[in-house]
Amino acid sequence: MGGQACVFYGGAEFSRDTDFAILADEANLARLAEAMRELEADVIAVPPFSMQHLLGGHAVHYRCQHPEAKGMRVDVMARMRGVDAFEALWERRTTLEGADGTLYDLMSLPDLVQAKKTQRDKDWPMIRRLIEADHAVCAASPTPAQIRFWLAECRTPELLIELARQHPQAAKEQSQREAVQAALRGDEAEVQTALENEERRERQADRDYWLPLKRELEQMRRG
Amino acid sequence: MGPLERWNESMKLWAQYLAQGGSLDPEPDSQSPFNFPELQGSRPVDGRSGLRVLRRGGVQP
Repeated sequence: MGGQACVFYGGAEFSRDTDFAILADEANLARLAEAMRELEADVIAVPPFSMQHLLGGHAVHYRCQHPEAKGMRVDVMARMRGVDAFEALWERRTTLEGADGTLYDLMSLPDLVQAKKTQRDKDWPMIRRLIEADHAVCAASPTPAQIRFWLAECRTPELLIELARQHPQAAKEQSQREAVQAALRGDEAEVQTALENEERRERQADRDYWLPLKRELEQMRRG
Repeated sequence: MGPLERWNESMKLWAQYLAQGGSLDPEPDSQSPFNFPELQGSRPVDGRSGLRVLRRGGVQP
């Protein structure tokens, strides 16, 4: 997930670290621990690597020391706010195969968009770019599911208005979204306001979600 | 470009980024729930590793 997935989906050109959504069960955490040993990766900061912390919603942070990955940062999470359980994410994943046979399993685009709805300024332009990139690739012949996805998640006023114009029935079915209602009226300023309200609500929800987790982290840091 | 082409081009950027002394640590982000000093590696005060400052611009007193 994270920045590297955004590269694959066309929302970013470069990301310096790697984020994984993982299944937190005994067997898989043992496999993860082995993989981190191969990378000579140390857990840095808090929390320590444990099922309890991962299932509690925390991220575990690593820095790799293996010469071929020296200094690389890896973060793993098992639970993210508003994001489905791992099993559902895995079922919906995108799998790509490189020329050398390497497999890349990415969070699906809708799940990635959901994971990016955070309290941080930097994530919201990325959501916008991800939808724009997806639309640019698929606009010629979208599936109904893609149209529904774009109407539900598009953060570009002009594009949302265009989608509502091209797919009015689908837009009416998504009209519980304030921004889509405004897009059906063709009012760009109103769409912009609705998008800003949406972002503000999500960012506050993310801050509220992280408050108890941040308290736990501070307690751990104080030791 | 398709996803794998983008990935391959991004990997080329790595070489340039590291040559310019780019850090692999996340940039400081006061909005991140993970904004701890422990997650930031040591950064050189002046310039980046592998680079030295020949001339410094910026705000004049």
